Order: sequence, then structure tokens, then C-alpha cells
Amino acid sequence: MSRNVMERLMHKLCVDRVVKQRFKEDIEGLLSRYKLDDAEKDMLRHMDIPAMQAHGVNPMLTLGFWFENASDPSPMAYMKALQKPAGAVTKQG
Amino acid sequence: MGKIVGGFMVPHDPIMFQAPEAPAPEVRQRMWAAFDSCAERLAKLDATAVVIVGADHYFNFGTECLPQYLIATGDVDGPMDVMPGLKRQQIPDHQALATHIAAHGHEHGFDWAVARAFTVDHAVAIPDRLIVDPVRKLGQTIGTIPVYIASGVDPYISMKRAIALGGAIRAAVEAAPENERVVVIGSGGISHWVGLPEMGRVNEAFDHEIMTYACEGNLAAMASLTDDYILTHGGNGGMEIRQWAVVMGALPGAKGEIIDYEAVPEWVTGLGFVQILN
Repeated sequence: MSRNVMERLMHKLCVDRVVKQRFKEDIEGLLSRYKLDDAEKDMLRHMDIPAMQAHGVNPMLTLGFWFENASDPSPMAYMKALQKPAGAVTKQG
Repeated sequence: MGKIVGGFMVPHDPIMFQAPEAPAPEVRQRMWAAFDSCAERLAKLDATAVVIVGADHYFNFGTECLPQYLIATGDVDGPMDVMPGLKRQQIPDHQALATHIAAHGHEHGFDWAVARAFTVDHAVAIPDRLIVDPVRKLGQTIGTIPVYIASGVDPYISMKRAIALGGAIRAAVEAAPENERVVVIGSGGISHWVGLPEMGRVNEAFDHEIMTYACEGNLAAMASLTDDYILTHGGNGGMEIRQWAVVMGALPGAKGEIIDYEAVPEWVTGLGFVQILN
């Protein structure tokens, strides 16, 4: 488990258009390039913000990641996602 | 020989631009007017440069490099995070003074990281656009010198080091070859919880505590604030009072006055505006 690698990829997903595009079009290919375990990949696949924060990811980064990559990037949608128990999003699939 | 001629502490709240009509009309008008008041006060200081101290929001800097403190010594533009009413533009700089501050620091125990060409985020762009640009439009020539300190991403710069960094800026300005008149603007705070479940919470008691320290010039009280205390009472966004500490360190012993304050949950922060008088 590596919070640092998670943060590295999530920072790119905030500032790098090419990486953001690949996240939309080829998420598995993108994730395979980073040393992430299955749980971390699931957090990213499902945009599981509570799990990311429980993992130690900086909340400023989870917020930026949401604004730049969520289908509904509104603050209200972010807050709704944040209220779910960590892992709930991932388990639901 | 230059001089620090004054300071300000102001918010850099992006939600003001993203949801400008969220608070009640009286509140939002007062908060925008507070920026106008800062601009009017800045115009009276006849400044040649402003040092705007901001926080990285895990936006300018990634995991590859997280500087404790950085100064932009070359061309400046921004913000990189454009938003309605805050488009990206060139920002007038002061390369000679910025380079001097970096060099002076390197000779006196402050190993500045340096950005030779830099795109600021909203932490510097908002006060530059709302406070400095209006004064430029009056005909004054003011160069902006962005400084970023680690208050958003750990490892955080310590409060004591932030105060000392303000002192280093002051020493460098006073050793400058030209008669520069410099204003230091601390951009950030006060209490807010960024990206956390408590987002929207504001702690007025904490906000008033910090504004009181600023107005009293109480460096000892600022220096004694622990990270645990700030995170508990001011949130992760409250760590941005480090920018206020830099201003206080640059103007030791100076008193301040509150221009305006309001807790604005709709804009997720306590918005405090303070002028430090030299």
C-alpha cells in the first residue's frame, strides 16, 4: 500500500490533461503503470473518497481529483460521496 | 535600502468566484467591499512591490517536489486554476527584488527554492487581482513577488520558521540596493475544512483568536500554536495562518486593525481582512 503513489497519480489527475483523458478512456491501462495494489486501484476506479482519506490521501487532493474527474463535479456531489462509509462505494461496485 | 511599509492578511476563497451569490446579499457585498478597502489602503502606501505569501493546495507542486518555501524570481502569470471572473493573465513581477531576496536568504540561512518562471494558483492570483490590480489601474507600478510556503501539504513549515521567514524577507528588503517600498500580503485562512466531511464548518472563536494575535503583533502566541491545535480548531485550511505568521514576522512589533470579518459557511471559511500598520 502506497499513499505516496496514490497521491502522485491523483496529482497528475488534477493537472495533466493527457492523464485525465486516459483515466476516462483507458483506466485499467493507466492504473497498470503505477505501483498500486488492488485496494488502491479500486479506490480510484470507484472514486471512493472516504477510503482514500482513510488511506491518508491529502483531502485537498481528493477534492481536486473529484472536481477534475467526477461525472458530477459539484461540491454537493463531493459532499455526498464523502459521507459514505469508507469502502462502501468499492463494495457496491 | 528598502522598507517594509505595511502588510495585509486576506482570504483567497475560490468559492467566492464559483458561487458568488451563495451568501446573503449583505454579506457577499461586504466581503467583496473588504477587498476594495484593502486596495484603497494599498494605494496609500505608495508601494513598489508586494510579496504575496500563499499556500500550495497540492496543485502547483506534486509528490516529486514539495518545497518548504519558494519564491518566484522570474516571469509570473496565473492562475493555473482559472475560474469564472478569474482568467489567466500575465502578472507584473519584480524580478530584481525577488532575485535579491532569494540571494540574501541563501547568504543568511534561508535556502529558498526558486521558480524562474511560475504560474501561480488562486492563493496568489486572487489578492493580486482584487487588491493590487486596482492600484495598478490608478497608475502605480507595483511588481508582485509570489512566495509559497508548505501549509497545505505535509511536511508543513513550522510556525516558528514561517515567522523567521518573514524576518528574512524584511532583512533582504532592508538590504536592497534600491529604495523599494514593499507590502507583504498573507493570503489564506482563517478556519476552514478543505475536502473533509466538516467542509462548511467555520470556527469564529479560532478566527478571532488569530485576528487578535495579528492585531496585537503577538508573535509569541502565534509561534506557540501547535499543528494539533490548529487542525482541531481551524481545520486543515486553518494551517494557512502560516501565511499570516510570515507577515507578522516581516513586521515585528507592528499593530494591526481588522478591516472586516465574517464567518461565511456558504463560502466554507471565516473571511478575515487585517491590515498591519508599520
